[in-house]
Amino acid sequence: MADTPSHRFPREAAPAAEGARDAAILRKYGIEPDPVIEAYKRDVDRTLLRQNLARTPDERWQVITQALRLQEELRAAGAKARGR
Amino acid sequence: MAADFRGIVEVLVDGGVEVVVVGGLAAQAHGSARLTQDADFIYSRSPKNIARLVETLAPFAPYLRGAPPGLPFRFDKETVQRGLNFTLTTALGDLDLLGEMLGGGSYELVLPNTVVLNVFGRDLRVLDHPR
Repeated sequence: MADTPSHRFPREAAPAAEGARDAAILRKYGIEPDPVIEAYKRDVDRTLLRQNLARTPDERWQVITQALRLQEELRAAGAKARGR
Repeated sequence: MAADFRGIVEVLVDGGVEVVVVGGLAAQAHGSARLTQDADFIYSRSPKNIARLVETLAPFAPYLRGAPPGLPFRFDKETVQRGLNFTLTTALGDLDLLGEMLGGGSYELVLPNTVVLNVFGRDLRVLDHPR
């Protein structure tokens, strides 16, 4: 399933180009890209990170609050289903 | 920039879309304390369900997350049929729609390993955690 088509942008759209761009940014600040970090980055959905960084602190707080509400609901539903 | 997770659940369930909650949200249902900020669902690839999925989500302006604005992306039946996994931003919040899942396969393969939980007053199918 590693080769399944995906519409994740831009990670699968141009991973080599993105990797080269990231490496160029790091080198600009005198940092040599770490191959281990680069390998792990392939499996991190950085669109979420970028989206979060684009939010104001207030917006981030709202997202976390909503996420916590859903987490509480899911955990309670799961516990109830397990009879706890 | 919305994060109306309740809205996402309500819209999908009320729209009769065949989905299973997977990923971080499913882990939370089984006790994980890890907080996730997007919703991952595996969806049935049947033509009927794809039509229902598109019709249900279209009003919430699905768009490829991380893509520059203005791309000619249309979330319609043809797009979903030709694609598989979509990481989307919508007016309700971030939403990952998976046609297949690594280690799990398709919706139909995952289905026997799910549990129905009542979430926000709706019956929602969630990936189970074997004991």
